[in-house]
Amino acid sequence: MLNFIIRRLGLAIPSLLILIIISFVLMHSAPGGPFTSEKPLPPIVLANIEAKYGLDKPLPIQIANYVWGIVTDFDFGPSFRYKDRTVNDIIEVGFPVTIKYGFWSFLFAVTVGVFLGVVAALRHNTWADYTAVGIAIGGSVLPNFVMAPLLVLLFTVKLGWLPGGGWEGGQIQFLILPVIALSTSYLAGIARITRSSMLEVLHSNFIRTAKAKGLPSSYIIWRHALKPAMLPMLSYLGPAFVGMVTGSMIIDQYFSTGGIGLHFVNGALNRDYSTIMGITILVGTLTIVFNMLVDIMYAWIDPKIRY
Amino acid sequence: MLVDNKKVQELADNMAAEELTGRSLLQDARHRFFKNKMAVVSLMILVSIIIFAFVGPYFAKWSYEEIDWATMGNVAEMGRPSIESGHFFGTDDLGRDLYSRVIQGTQISLTVGFVGSLIAVFVGTLYGATAGYLGGTVDNIMMRTVDILMAIPYMFFLILLLVMFGRSISLIFVGIGLISWLDMSRIVRGQTLSLKNKEFIEAAVASGVAPFNIIRRHIVPNVMGIVVVYATLLVPGMIMTESFISFLGLGVQEPQTSWGALISSGAGRLQYGTYWQLFFPLFFFIATLLSFFFIGDGLRDALDPKDR
Repeated sequence: MLNFIIRRLGLAIPSLLILIIISFVLMHSAPGGPFTSEKPLPPIVLANIEAKYGLDKPLPIQIANYVWGIVTDFDFGPSFRYKDRTVNDIIEVGFPVTIKYGFWSFLFAVTVGVFLGVVAALRHNTWADYTAVGIAIGGSVLPNFVMAPLLVLLFTVKLGWLPGGGWEGGQIQFLILPVIALSTSYLAGIARITRSSMLEVLHSNFIRTAKAKGLPSSYIIWRHALKPAMLPMLSYLGPAFVGMVTGSMIIDQYFSTGGIGLHFVNGALNRDYSTIMGITILVGTLTIVFNMLVDIMYAWIDPKIRY
Repeated sequence: MLVDNKKVQELADNMAAEELTGRSLLQDARHRFFKNKMAVVSLMILVSIIIFAFVGPYFAKWSYEEIDWATMGNVAEMGRPSIESGHFFGTDDLGRDLYSRVIQGTQISLTVGFVGSLIAVFVGTLYGATAGYLGGTVDNIMMRTVDILMAIPYMFFLILLLVMFGRSISLIFVGIGLISWLDMSRIVRGQTLSLKNKEFIEAAVASGVAPFNIIRRHIVPNVMGIVVVYATLLVPGMIMTESFISFLGLGVQEPQTSWGALISSGAGRLQYGTYWQLFFPLFFFIATLLSFFFIGDGLRDALDPKDR
């Protein structure tokens, strides 16, 4: 197990380094520096400013300084666009919002998805199964940027039940639509995977043995079927996490929730290099760590898995 | 004569006759595919959408960038879908003909989907087959590289690329191509691993065929089935990626458009009651994605050896 964790770390760390190096080199090679404006600065002033931010040093040293800043002080440097803000300020404002609706979306997708999948498998080839499969297929062609306007059209414009945007500190009525929009396609994916793996497990020999022993079916499901049926779903959680973090761009833009995605998109539109790089690295780190945890969990639950 | 010549002849004839009536794997798969009604209907829908994308412009009264000044400022009333005004799908908020814009968007979105999966098929198949066939350290390095690349949230990277090098549709092609082959290479590698110990590969090795030729002549044709299935399932993913970026306004540049950009502009104006601006692009988007989904499903059932 320890061996496995070490090897898995050996995969995560290069990923992180590549992530940082590529984004840094990309930013460095972009046309125009952070201090080029319509009114060019005198060369001496420019040189002084660059010296202050360490931009006169060679690229590897800049990268090392940047990484060191993040590791020791969690410092992503100043924003290139807004002189009065650092990337840290932007992350501090946006991140809690994203975490809040992201957490609820994830929870919603997993619980409802697993529930639908299990029910569909237990009631194989009945109307309950067909409904769940219908939701799963429908959801897979309704990505967040399609769900968001459809939900707003139904619940805000037509019915007037829920606000079509805003955050207000994350009160429940502002949370519902973003959470549904963000989680639908992953909910569908989880339901599909759970259904098929549950079906497979229910037809396996050890379940037949359990039935033959005369165990009650609820006991069989909870005690024997659920755990192996969950395994394939677990490996889907990594991509689902990435998808939801990515989807926050759509949610933040469409619902004006003000999360990290909004700042990323605004940074991209304003060419605020340091902000988009900071957010990319932060999100990338989270993703890599999350994937690693999922893999370790997987190996812990299923001893057959070894890389 | 120990062996009865006549009997041998008869046996040979029988075998030949059997061969004549037998069905090849491909015929078998085709038969199964066409028995799947959902897949066939989806195929027809998809083909009609493709035909629409390329024949549709001949029926358009307005081009996709022309502004109908008559509708200006009163799109909710004048811009409704109607046959008389020539705006079959209505107009967008600037008074441009939505029919032509949907066609333009369909062309771009479909192209992104097909080009993306084509790159995935070429690069992914070669990469995966090479890694799987060569095995050992080479395989280890190649597949760990894929693992590392897969762990990176590519959408952020794609947008980073678009910001750094300027937005353009060709860069979207490159960016999508860069990431699309990763999954494919894993699948092909897995298939190759199970193929490489088969007798016909051994025979090829024994007769001195160079490794690359073995990959090209013996391995790649044998993994083509699963590659085709997976490529069909990849297309919707590519289309979604492009639409996602265009929805954010970071993808295609005006006056060009794609489904994502059209959905985005329709979605931004729900409160004005111009629902057709959302409905038409969304209809084509969902119809295409569903079609690919069912076609991929049908192909998988048709080509899956487990079912036989």
